[in-house]
Amino acid sequence: MTTEPLLESSFIRKLDNLSILTRRAMAGDIQGERRSPRRGSSVEFADFRPYTSGDDIRQIDWNLYARAERFYLKLFVAEEELSVHLLVDTSASMDWGAPNKLQYAKRLAGAYGYIALSNLDRVSVSAFGAGPQAVPMPSVRGKRGAIPLFSFLQRLAPGKGGDLAKSCRTYMQTARTPGPLLLCSDLLDPGWKEALGALSSRPFEVTVMHVLAPQEIAPDLDGDFTLVDVEGGDPVEISADIGLIQRYREGLERWREEIESFCNGRGMSYLAVDTSVPVDEFVLSQMRRRGVLR
Amino acid sequence: MSLISPLALLGAAIVGPIIVAMYLLKLRREERPVSSTFLWRKMVRDVEANAPWQKLRRSLLLLLQLLLMLLLVLALARPFFQTQGISGRNLIIILDHSASMGAADEPTSRLEAAKAKATQLIDQLPDGGRATIIAAGGTMQVPAASTSDRRELRQAIGDIQLDNGGGSDLGQPLTLASALAAREEDSEVAIISDGNVSIPGDIRVPARVSYFPIGRDTENVAVSAISLQPGQNSQTLFVQVTNYGASAAARRLDIYLDGAIFNAYNLSLEPDAARGQSIVAEIPPQVRVVEARLDGADALAADDRAYAVSTLGDALNVRLISPGNRFLETGLALLPGIQVTKAISGTSTFTETATQIPVTIIDGRAPATLPPGNLLFIGPISSTDYFSVTGEIAFPSLRPIGGDDPILRNVSLSEVSVLKAARIVPGSWARVLVDSDGAPLLAVGERDGRRVAVLAFDLHNSDLPLQVAFPLLLSNLMSYLAPGSGAEASQLLPGQPLALQVDASVTEVRVTRPDGTLSSSRDGGVQIREGQAIYVDTDPLGVYTLEELRDGAVVASHRYAVNLFSPRESTIAAQRDLTVPQTSGAQSTISREREGRQELWRWLALAALVILVVEWLVYQRNGLAYLRQRWRQRRAAAR
Repeated sequence: MTTEPLLESSFIRKLDNLSILTRRAMAGDIQGERRSPRRGSSVEFADFRPYTSGDDIRQIDWNLYARAERFYLKLFVAEEELSVHLLVDTSASMDWGAPNKLQYAKRLAGAYGYIALSNLDRVSVSAFGAGPQAVPMPSVRGKRGAIPLFSFLQRLAPGKGGDLAKSCRTYMQTARTPGPLLLCSDLLDPGWKEALGALSSRPFEVTVMHVLAPQEIAPDLDGDFTLVDVEGGDPVEISADIGLIQRYREGLERWREEIESFCNGRGMSYLAVDTSVPVDEFVLSQMRRRGVLR
Repeated sequence: MSLISPLALLGAAIVGPIIVAMYLLKLRREERPVSSTFLWRKMVRDVEANAPWQKLRRSLLLLLQLLLMLLLVLALARPFFQTQGISGRNLIIILDHSASMGAADEPTSRLEAAKAKATQLIDQLPDGGRATIIAAGGTMQVPAASTSDRRELRQAIGDIQLDNGGGSDLGQPLTLASALAAREEDSEVAIISDGNVSIPGDIRVPARVSYFPIGRDTENVAVSAISLQPGQNSQTLFVQVTNYGASAAARRLDIYLDGAIFNAYNLSLEPDAARGQSIVAEIPPQVRVVEARLDGADALAADDRAYAVSTLGDALNVRLISPGNRFLETGLALLPGIQVTKAISGTSTFTETATQIPVTIIDGRAPATLPPGNLLFIGPISSTDYFSVTGEIAFPSLRPIGGDDPILRNVSLSEVSVLKAARIVPGSWARVLVDSDGAPLLAVGERDGRRVAVLAFDLHNSDLPLQVAFPLLLSNLMSYLAPGSGAEASQLLPGQPLALQVDASVTEVRVTRPDGTLSSSRDGGVQIREGQAIYVDTDPLGVYTLEELRDGAVVASHRYAVNLFSPRESTIAAQRDLTVPQTSGAQSTISREREGRQELWRWLALAALVILVVEWLVYQRNGLAYLRQRWRQRRAAAR
C-alpha cells in the first residue's frame, strides 16, 4: 500500500477534459448527462408519438395539432447518467513486476473512474481475488465521489489466488445497470476465456485492460530455474536459453492475439498494457487512440 | 593396448565424482518467483513433445565434461599399442638404399617401404629421443645426425635416393653406428634393409640391433654380364643371363644393335646364381652400342637391361722400352686392343705426346729422361724420380696386402716364386699392393698427374710369366695405367668415375647421360685436371657418351656403358634375420613384437581439445543463437 497519491494532480487536471466514449446509448438510473435509449426530458428532439389517454398533456405538440388536428406527443431524448463498472483483478499474480501490475491497474481504474465521475456518471468498483476487499465499494457519483473512489483503490491489497471466471460470473449476476465496464487484469488464469465470455453475457461495454509487466513480456532469464507460481500453481523447471525465451515470447504473442480475437468477436475492446509505459501517457494517448476515451 | 602409467586412471575416480557432484549441486535450480506459471506451463507442454532430446540437452554439458575428463585422464595414462618397433631413446637408423632396394615388390618400391618404416620408427621415438639416419649402400651418407627434430628427420628420410653403385656393405655404417651408440645410453640400432648386405664379423655393436626386413619377392632374372670384344673384321658379343631367384624362369632376351632389334633368344633359366646362361654372337663391326634387354618384368627392373659399347679401332698404344723380353711381348700381344711400339733401351728422346702413347713400359734400365704418359717399371735397376733402389732381396715371399684392389683382381700370387728382386723405396705417392717383409714388390700410385706402377723384380727372375696370374696382372695393370681405354674400360659400375686422358688442346669435354641430358666441363659437370677428364655422376644405368671438343668442334667421341652387374644386388630374396654381433652377446636381430610402442596420447589430447571446443560452444549457445539472430536480422534488413 503506497502513501503517495494514486494519481498526480496535474494528471487529474488533464483527465477533466476527457470523457468516456460509449458506442451506443445506455440507460442509467437517474438523470444525467448521457444520451439514454429512453425518451425523456432534454432539449434534444427524438420523435413524435400519437397521444393515448393517460399521457402527460404537457408533452403534446400544439403546433403539430394545429396542422394535423390530432394530438401528438413530442418526445425528447432522455439524458441519464452512465453506470461505469471498474473491475480490478487483485489476485496475487497482479502484485508482481516492476512497475507493479496491481498498482498500475489501480491507477488505470482510478483515472477511468475519475473521468466518469467528472462527467457525472456513476462509478462502482469491485476487486476480484480472494482478498479482504470482497465487499465492493458502494457506487459513487460526481466529483465528490473521487475521494472515496481513490481511497478505496488505495486500500486494495493483493489477495491470494482467485477464480477469475467465477468472479466475473458473480458480478454479472449482481450488477444492476449495464454500462461501460473496465476490467484490469493480467488474465493469467486458465479460465480467462470463460471469464471474458461471462462479461459478454450482458450488454456491458467491456474494455479489457490486459496488464502485463515487462518481466512477463520479455523475461530476463538465463540458466536453469524453478519457476514458482506466486498463486501457488505447479512450479515449472526450465533451462532458459535464448531459444526458450524466443519460444516464450512467441507463445505470449499468440496468446495475446487469441484474447484479442476473442474480445473482438464479442464486441469488447482489448488493450494490451505494458506497465513500463507510464499511466498518464497510456491513458492520454493510447486509450484515446483506441477509442475508449474522448 | 596397454597403459604406461595406469595410475593416472585414478584421476578419473577422483575428478569424475567431483564433476558429477558439482553438477548435481548445480541441478538444484535457483527458484525464481513469477506472477504465474500459466504461460510457462503452456510452453513446457509443447516442449515436452520432444522430451528425450530435451533431457539429454540439459545434461549435455555434463556428458561433454565427463568425456573431456576421461580423454584427458586416458591421455595421462599414456596408452600405447605394441608394435614391431624400437624402444631406445637414441635411435640409429641404417637405411639400405642400394640397388636391390629398387625392387618393386613392395608398394612403389622397397626403398619407399623402407622410408615409410623409418618414418614410423621416428614417430615411435619417445619424447626427447634422438635419431640418426645413415643411408647405407654405395657411398655412406648421414643426412641427419643425432637430432630430435622430427621434421628434419622426416625430411632426411624423404630425401634418400636409390644408389645403384657401391654395393651393400654395412661395415662402415655399423662402425659409425657403434661409435654413436657407445656415446649414449639406451641406444638402439635399426637396420632397414632387404638383408642382402655384407656385415663384417669383427664388429661388436654396443647396442641392441633390430632388423626390419623389407621385401617379399625372391624371383629375379638379371643380365649378369655383357661384353663386346673387337675381332679382326667383326665383333663378338657375349651376354650372360642369370636367374637369381628360387624357381626356374623362362624369359626372352632381346638384343638391340644401335637401337634396332637384332635377335631374340628364348631362355629357360634354372635357379642358379653361380651359373648363368651365356649367349655368344658375332655382330657387324660398324655396330657402336649393343643393348641386351630381358623381355617381361620382374621385381628388380634395373638389372634387366645391360649395355655394351664397341671398342673396335680404339687400340691402346703402349711403348715398350726393353732390352728384349719375350714374356712381356707375348703377354701384351695376348691382350686385345693393345698396339705395342717398341723402343730401344736407352732412348731418351720421345716425340709422341701422352695422348698418342699413353702408357710406357720400362723393362729394366730406365732412360735418363722419362717419357710422358703413365709408366710401368718392371725390375728397375737404378733409382728414378719416383723411387729409389737401395739393394736387392733374395727369395722374397709375395704377400698381397692390397685387399680387393682391382689390380689384383683374379690374380693369385701364392704359387709365384721369385729369385731376387730390387729393394725399392717408393715415395709417399705409392700404394703397396704386394710386399715382402717390408719391401714392396708391387706398388702403384699417382704422381705429377701420371699413374706409375712398379714391379720390383725382373720377369726373368721369377716364374710369374709361366703362371695364369701373369696375363691377368698385366691386363689389370694396363687397365689401371690406361683408364678409359679397351673393352674393359668401357664398362663401368654405377658410381665408378669415368676418367679419360685428354690432350691439352681439348677445350671442352661434354658428357651425354643416358637420359639425354648434357654435362660439360664448362658448367663444372665434367672436371679436367692434369690432362684427365673426370666425370663422377655415373649412378644412372645406361650408355654415356663423352665428347672431346676443340674450339666447338668434336674431335673425339667415346662411349661408356654403366651396368648393374652385382650378384648381391640382383639376389633380392629378403633375409629374415641378419647376424650382427652385439656386445650383449646376441647375434640375431629379429625385432621382438612387443618392443615398439605406438603411443596414442597425442590423439587423445587432440580429441580432448575438440571436445573442449564443443563444450564451450554448447555452453555459449545463447550467445551463438543471439549472434545468428542478429545476423539474420541484418540480412533481412539489407534485403
